[in-house]
Amino acid sequence: MKSNIETIDKAAMALSGGLMLLGIVVLGFVELLDGAPYGAAPVTNDAGEVVATPMVDPALRTGLVLLGMAVLLVWGLYRYTVPPMDVDEATATEMTAD
Amino acid sequence: MSTKTANPLAGEFELNLDRPLTAYWLAILRVVTGWWFFHAGVTKLIEDGLAFGYAPMYLKGMTGTALGPIPVWMGTNLAWLVEPAVPLFETLIGLALMLGVLTRLASVGGVMFMTLFWVGNAGFGHGLVNGDLMGLMLFATMIVVGAGRYYGVDAVLERTEFVKQRPRLRYLLG
Repeated sequence: MKSNIETIDKAAMALSGGLMLLGIVVLGFVELLDGAPYGAAPVTNDAGEVVATPMVDPALRTGLVLLGMAVLLVWGLYRYTVPPMDVDEATATEMTAD
Repeated sequence: MSTKTANPLAGEFELNLDRPLTAYWLAILRVVTGWWFFHAGVTKLIEDGLAFGYAPMYLKGMTGTALGPIPVWMGTNLAWLVEPAVPLFETLIGLALMLGVLTRLASVGGVMFMTLFWVGNAGFGHGLVNGDLMGLMLFATMIVVGAGRYYGVDAVLERTEFVKQRPRLRYLLG
């Protein structure tokens, strides 16, 4: 079967995937390269005091992932209301019987 | 006149592995799963180097599990191997998944790790189905669908003459 993927579908996939991977992987690398704490949680001492905080706010990272998910949701709702054009139908030409 | 009924789930929205949406999502899942393991491994390497002393301790604590005496034996007798292997293989498995190289082989390693985490963490306070089992299932899914074929290096490797002449390699790639 031919693909009937449209520009808006590609844009939605790129945007949502980009946002999710930015939040999880890209900023994760940034956090790693910045030094301790290497994860999204602050470092505490034995007394429970915070001695180092993440360079990238975890709220920003989770927010980006949720935004990516939201793009998927909006895309899904859009596709529910505007189904993609069927390639076979779009390219079909009407033939008269002999 | 066409009698075809418009189906909004047809085309790329059906669950065929060669459809764009499925390929896209499998690639995202693979990279995120890879990052999960890479981060776990590389932070151990940064903090403890190749001497991750917690690993043999963890294995020694795995008494009375479905894996019998194996983990305890490993923790006791193979500590010299387990200490460097845990951070090293977590990192390598994560890298392999992110790049989509030797995805199935790496995912088998991931399944082994997650099996030890799932069985070893064992609290099961919220039932048998917990995050560790979900991780295990994720790695199993990577194997089943050959997730490296979707925007991964394995897609390129599998088209080479070398692999075509040795089709069994597809059980390690893919």
